[in-house]
Amino acid sequence: MVVPLLGQHDQQQAIQLIEQQGLKFEANFDVQFGLFDGGRLLATAARDRNVFKMFAIDPDGQGSSVLGELISALLQSGYQAGYQAFFVFTPPASVPSFQACNFLPLVSHHKACLMEFGSGLKRYLDKYAPLVKPGHNGAVVVNCNPFTLGHQYLIESAARQVDHLYVFVVREERSFFPFEVRYQLVREGVAHLANVSILDTGDYAISGVTFPGYFLKADDDLSALQMELDLLLFAKHLAPFFNIETRFVGTEPFCRTTRQYSDTMQELLPPFRLQTVQLERCQVDGEPISAYRVRQELRREAYETLRRLVPESTLTFLLSAAGRELQQSLNNYQRRH
Amino acid sequence: MEIVKSAQSGTMQSSDLMIFLEPAEDLLIDIESTVKQQFEHLIRAQVEKVLELHQVSSGHIRINDRGALDYAIVARLEAGLKRACADHS
Repeated sequence: MVVPLLGQHDQQQAIQLIEQQGLKFEANFDVQFGLFDGGRLLATAARDRNVFKMFAIDPDGQGSSVLGELISALLQSGYQAGYQAFFVFTPPASVPSFQACNFLPLVSHHKACLMEFGSGLKRYLDKYAPLVKPGHNGAVVVNCNPFTLGHQYLIESAARQVDHLYVFVVREERSFFPFEVRYQLVREGVAHLANVSILDTGDYAISGVTFPGYFLKADDDLSALQMELDLLLFAKHLAPFFNIETRFVGTEPFCRTTRQYSDTMQELLPPFRLQTVQLERCQVDGEPISAYRVRQELRREAYETLRRLVPESTLTFLLSAAGRELQQSLNNYQRRH
Repeated sequence: MEIVKSAQSGTMQSSDLMIFLEPAEDLLIDIESTVKQQFEHLIRAQVEKVLELHQVSSGHIRINDRGALDYAIVARLEAGLKRACADHS
């Protein structure tokens, strides 16, 4: 029977089994399960929010019903935690085993395949079907932590070059400003543009699922792989659905990961008839505007400087009670995005 | 019976199925199966029969099947309904 792994001894065995299978043990997960045979751990797998990972099965247990048992336990715990769709990154050789458990490949790559259980992508696209417009459309994916005049300039310039522009706001809650705030400020900041729709990325662009590397420290191989999977997902599933032909990005002077992502974009998207257009960042006082710079100024409570970096709508929020409260906690915030 | 809360039953073992039930305005049955092409209509018919028997007319029911036989479908769905429906006794 599959049981949750608890305690040091269980975990030691799990680490051993995972490493034996040539995988890396990662400490971040919500729950880890295992299957024992007379005190010896025969198989293990873990769930990190809606991502299943670290599947390791001892050669003695392979080919049996073990994978189905592990997946059942993971699904039950994930469903109870409130998730509907689940993901797994798997080497190409294991794809058929997961397919037999109703996981569908979302994107394949020579080194890894991203698979999904629970038709989440279909539900995501169905939800946005009313926003689909014909024509030559474009997209930007933005985090907007928070929305600045730079974002506004990027979106205005992009919107002029296409019939309709889709602005995908990163759903992932790993930024200083919560998603609801970021989304609302984007909404207010582009309200004057008639041909712009705002969407949330869900799990399907720059999320903990498609692109955990954006939020973690750079580990080059892994983050290159994740960038490619993220972009392939966009190219294969999102772009055709919304008739997107152009993806816009701002030039990135600061963050290496973001710059690498933009570079990868220009390599990967053309075969899908998608072009990438880089737009020059707009500058204030000889320096490009960035959300990072805004957070720096906010930390110093330099509201007069902020007035020149963010639109009226963002400034109004920053000066509101909710905005002030966030400002108070900014001193403890050290992350990059 | 009426589905009033989300519930789950079954497993993803071979020859079993896993069912997720949620309250919804209309009745919606989604079927994923490793043998979907051959047997989707039969799985659906079996699910509808059980729902009718228990007079369930609304809810979102997601079936994830791995080749379950009819009696397994009935048992898993009835277990799921008992978990998802209000207690009328």
